[in-house]
Amino acid sequence: MSTLDVRTRIENGVAIIYPGPYLNQLRGEGLEGRCGELLASGIRGIVINFEETELINSIGISILLGIIETVNESSGSLVLSNLSATNRELFEMLGLLVHVRIEETEEVAVAKLSATAEVMARR
Amino acid sequence: MKLALRKMLHNLSALTDLGAEISSTHNFEEVMRASLHTLLGTLAIPKGAIAQFSARPRMLKIMAAKGLPGAIGGHIQLGRDEVKRLALRGRPLEVAAEQNGLSHFVRRNGDILKRLRAHTFVPMVVHGELEGVIFLSEKFTKEPFSEDDTELINTISRHIGMAFYNHRLLVSLRRKAEENRKLYQDMRRMYQDTIKAFGAAIDLKDAYTKGHSDRVARYSEAIAREMGITGTDLEYIEVAGYLHDIGKIVVDRSIINNPRPLTDREFQELNRHVTTGYEILSNINHPWKEIAYMTKCHHEKVDGTGYPQGLRGDEIPLGSKIVTLADSFDAMMTDRPYRSRLPLDRALSDMQRNTGKQFASDVVAAFCRLLLKEINGTSRDRVFIPVIGLKFDREAISSTLASMIEEPGPMRDERDL
Repeated sequence: MSTLDVRTRIENGVAIIYPGPYLNQLRGEGLEGRCGELLASGIRGIVINFEETELINSIGISILLGIIETVNESSGSLVLSNLSATNRELFEMLGLLVHVRIEETEEVAVAKLSATAEVMARR
Repeated sequence: MKLALRKMLHNLSALTDLGAEISSTHNFEEVMRASLHTLLGTLAIPKGAIAQFSARPRMLKIMAAKGLPGAIGGHIQLGRDEVKRLALRGRPLEVAAEQNGLSHFVRRNGDILKRLRAHTFVPMVVHGELEGVIFLSEKFTKEPFSEDDTELINTISRHIGMAFYNHRLLVSLRRKAEENRKLYQDMRRMYQDTIKAFGAAIDLKDAYTKGHSDRVARYSEAIAREMGITGTDLEYIEVAGYLHDIGKIVVDRSIINNPRPLTDREFQELNRHVTTGYEILSNINHPWKEIAYMTKCHHEKVDGTGYPQGLRGDEIPLGSKIVTLADSFDAMMTDRPYRSRLPLDRALSDMQRNTGKQFASDVVAAFCRLLLKEINGTSRDRVFIPVIGLKFDREAISSTLASMIEEPGPMRDERDL
């Protein structure tokens, strides 16, 4: 199955990814591939902005869990932002809210990850 | 929305996705991969694998895995008792639980289960038969599976197990279909060889007609193809070419090889070969009944002066008209007990003179087109060249053929009869 290209941008050394309106297998694999490329390029801070994402299906959740683990194993940081009420409820129902960093907006997520990156760099 | 209702909707949505995936036309490995993702995503399980059971050799083969690099293709050997025990337990079992009755299996496969991060395994059982096993890690939250979770795992694993069962049936059906196809091809080859052997046996009665049936079959097939005939109709005509003289098997050899003009009685005897051939072929439980009739009519003439029935024009099957021309052309181009072979220009002249009398004009035109293409080298086929050779005036013959294509017969056409 072919995967879709996922829109991405970089700000202050942090990558922001937009998974699109429906996080299913096709989009999920695109997202997974993009995260892998970013980590391989040395990026350690990733924000996934779900503002446009209306629906996340089970396959999408499964792929997202894999991304969370991969980022953690790479000593990176992943933040999810702009979750709709429905998607937040989904994460809550699956018990993921306490295991995943979530911020209200992309700006806050980027600012926090940028600050963390600076602290890490100073060390 | 209440949590319980949200969960129910989430689970229903997952089952809908799973159903759509299982009934999709994706390849089976892709279906299994998506099914595994659906199961893992529904319950937020980070790692898992699906293994298919194989009875010979007795083992589980990992077909899909998530979060376990290099796991796909791995095997887990199974003992006979273990297969039975797994088949008896169609429910999720904790790897660590001693009371699952599979502690030996767990101990023996400790390493691979560890590599698969297997916390729980679910035998997939359909109609009492083990189809495979799903291995699941702990949930992402490290919480134990709830009763609801276990029920959902059960439901999804039954769906996946059924997909395995259906896939196994499909593979088995495909294998049987392939076996039947090969068997059919073998039978066809044997059938075609038998037909050729019959043709050769007929030709052996006459030292002058060696290879005649084979050539008539090839000419007939080529002419029919040129006329746009395809598929089984084309095959009928080729077979009729091989068997057109089968009735000669019962004709006295001295008549067939007689170099002198035949007496009336001898002619009658010889001409009986078409009805005798028909009787022989129509008694065979043959799938292509038309062939017997085609051979019966290969001495009919479009002007109605042929035998045995004196049929005219379109009363004669097209296949017979094709065989008639192929048969006559080969007779003209080979030595016979009563005369030497004719030069090509003479044979074409005879053919042209008899178009609309003995031969059908559309068949003559198709024959001429084919021959011209071979002579001009515009066709890679070499159907007629082996018998006509290269000793003829290429320009004159090409011109004759061109005019015969334009106007196959000078006198009259069977359509006017």
